[in-house]
Amino acid sequence: MKKIILLLLLVPLLFASDIKTEQKIYGLIIHALLPQKTEIRVWTDSQSPTNIFCLIKDVRCVNNPENADFLLLSKKKNIQTKGIKFATNIQLLEAEKDTIVGGFFWEKGRPNILFLRKNLQKHNITLPKSMQEYIEDEL
Amino acid sequence: MKNIKQLYSFIFVSIVLAIAYLFFSTAQIQQILNENVESIFIKEAKSFAQNINNNIKTVIKEDPYRELKENQALQKKMEHALSIIINDTFKYIFVLYRDSNGNYRYLLDGSKEDKARFNQRLSVDKKLWSSVYDTKVPLIINQKELDNLWITYLKPVVLNNKTVAIIAIDFSTQLPQSISNAIEPLNKIFIYIFIAIGVLIVILIYQSIRSIKIKKESITDPLTQAYNRNYLRDLLSNIDITKYQIMMLDIDHFKQVNDNYGHKAGDYILASSAKIMQNEIRDEDILIRFGGEEFLIFIKKSSVNSYLAYNIAQRIRKKIEESRFSYEDKELQITISVGVSCQPEHFKTVSLAIKYADEMLYKAKREGRNQVISQSTNDTTLLKKTNTKSINDVKEALEEQRVVCFFQAIYNAESLTVVKYEALVRIKEKDGSITSPADFLESITYTNVYNDLTKSVLESVFTQIKEKKIQISTNLNFSDILDNKIFDLIIHELELHKELSSWLIIELLEYELIEEITIVQSRLLRIKEYGVKIAIDDFGSGYSNYSIFKLLPIDILKIDGSLIKDIDMSETSYKITHSIILLAKELGITTVAEFVHSKEVLETVKMLHIDEVQGFYLAKPSPNIL
Repeated sequence: MKKIILLLLLVPLLFASDIKTEQKIYGLIIHALLPQKTEIRVWTDSQSPTNIFCLIKDVRCVNNPENADFLLLSKKKNIQTKGIKFATNIQLLEAEKDTIVGGFFWEKGRPNILFLRKNLQKHNITLPKSMQEYIEDEL
Repeated sequence: MKNIKQLYSFIFVSIVLAIAYLFFSTAQIQQILNENVESIFIKEAKSFAQNINNNIKTVIKEDPYRELKENQALQKKMEHALSIIINDTFKYIFVLYRDSNGNYRYLLDGSKEDKARFNQRLSVDKKLWSSVYDTKVPLIINQKELDNLWITYLKPVVLNNKTVAIIAIDFSTQLPQSISNAIEPLNKIFIYIFIAIGVLIVILIYQSIRSIKIKKESITDPLTQAYNRNYLRDLLSNIDITKYQIMMLDIDHFKQVNDNYGHKAGDYILASSAKIMQNEIRDEDILIRFGGEEFLIFIKKSSVNSYLAYNIAQRIRKKIEESRFSYEDKELQITISVGVSCQPEHFKTVSLAIKYADEMLYKAKREGRNQVISQSTNDTTLLKKTNTKSINDVKEALEEQRVVCFFQAIYNAESLTVVKYEALVRIKEKDGSITSPADFLESITYTNVYNDLTKSVLESVFTQIKEKKIQISTNLNFSDILDNKIFDLIIHELELHKELSSWLIIELLEYELIEEITIVQSRLLRIKEYGVKIAIDDFGSGYSNYSIFKLLPIDILKIDGSLIKDIDMSETSYKITHSIILLAKELGITTVAEFVHSKEVLETVKMLHIDEVQGFYLAKPSPNIL
């Protein structure tokens, strides 16, 4: 399965740009975190990647963060929500490590995925085996 | 013109090849430059990695994770050292270690911005990184799949024979891109040139196809799709006639088809017949509509079948005879006559060979139509013969003076004294055997060798006349009299032997009434001016025609052997011969009976008051005049 995921991650990389790669990776992450949802509502504080989500299968972009199932954050924000918070950079992940479930960011030109175990547990999320290797106990 | 076309083609191909060579050379240069740039930077990266490795080994004793974690000052110092190397090309320089879970984490990061924390995890291609970790062998990873990276150089840090970390140097440069950008206009020019060449080739192909189509139309008969005379004109100047046999075909009674059924029906018959002909010949054979209902076919010779053209002609004739041509509601049946020249190389020109095939065709027509007559089948024995001489054999015999004359005496019928001789040409073979003219005349007809042979015979005859002072006859064809060269040769020989000319008798064969009879008449009169007597040979068979007495200055009439040989048995032969003799006497023409092979025949012709007699009963041909 790992190989399949790796393949899923790498094969598109051969043909797609970083943005398309991001889109595919976000798709995998969102569906791994919310497997039971048939439609996942996504909100982001960044304008630029909005379109990335809108094109993911079974994902709908929403304007109100409170209605979102998945929030992609680039800055620290005081948002009261039951949705899953996800960071787009390591700095925010470190700053919000008590609430944020994980992050996806580019580090040294490489796509990096990271999930925080205790926050996953808070949301009762069990990641598929292929994603479990990205789980960190602490930062 | 053909050479100029070839020159143009050569220049065009050369230019295309030169441009293609230039294009590929440019691409190769670009590749070499890129490889060189790559190797320069890799070399530099290797050097940096080696220095970092040395530096680590001097300060780290055993476990870099533990030692650097405990000594943050050392960590900062070393990261500072790494950061000094970082520039626009060498973007990321960092050192990772592999944790117990197989994940790679930072020990050192030389980045000035977005610096990673100590022990922060970095997602890498674990397979490749682990191979460096396990094998302790440096690795160059081409990161072309990622937009921001170009090459990563990985070098293991080995302490106590154990890999404790990996030094990673990510570097990229715009240099190959700059080279590519610099060459890009050149590549564009090449693309434009190739497009232009492509368009030019398409235009040339279009023009060539058009030109071929126009040329084909100009050399093809639209009705029958056979080649026309325009094609024949070109063919005559190029064809190697030694490789072909010729057949001339004519649709029998074609005029009646046109008259009875109309021209459209005639056209239909022509097209259908041509189609049958085309189907019966091979691709390498050439079908030409010679004119009207006449077709000419050049059959490519076969090494195994000397009579291939004859066989094909028979096949076509049979096929057409068996075919039923349905036009509108009428069913037509036609036949064809064919003349074949199996050895056209024996003729001086292709035109003469065609003319000969045409003569064979007319022979086929005269002899009843719906048949094939070939050069060989016309000579009724030639097909069966195996000892037919080639033109070269005769030429060689002439050169070696082995062409000789035999002489057969002709007797006065009453006194049975020799009055003259008939010269009969023979070839004396090297083994001493004698070859008769039936075995070699056919192969040299219409050739220069035939002219040489005629000259040789005339000279031989005059030599004998000079020596023996006796009349000698020699055989010639009507076509010989019509042939300018042979006629000139005869006149030349008569001029040379003027005083002996009156002893010469010319016996003419094949005396069918031909169109050029007036020319023959005038030429014979010219010959007779030298005192030469003219005899008609084999009268009473074949094309015998009484009007010949009116048209030609005949002195002697030799009655054909077919009438004489059974004259003692056949009443018909007797009566015919009798009437011929009576007529000749009325006209003052001397009569000669050939083929007198027995006493009974001699007695019978004597009774009919024949003037002279000749035959094996009296004397056989001999090499010498007694």
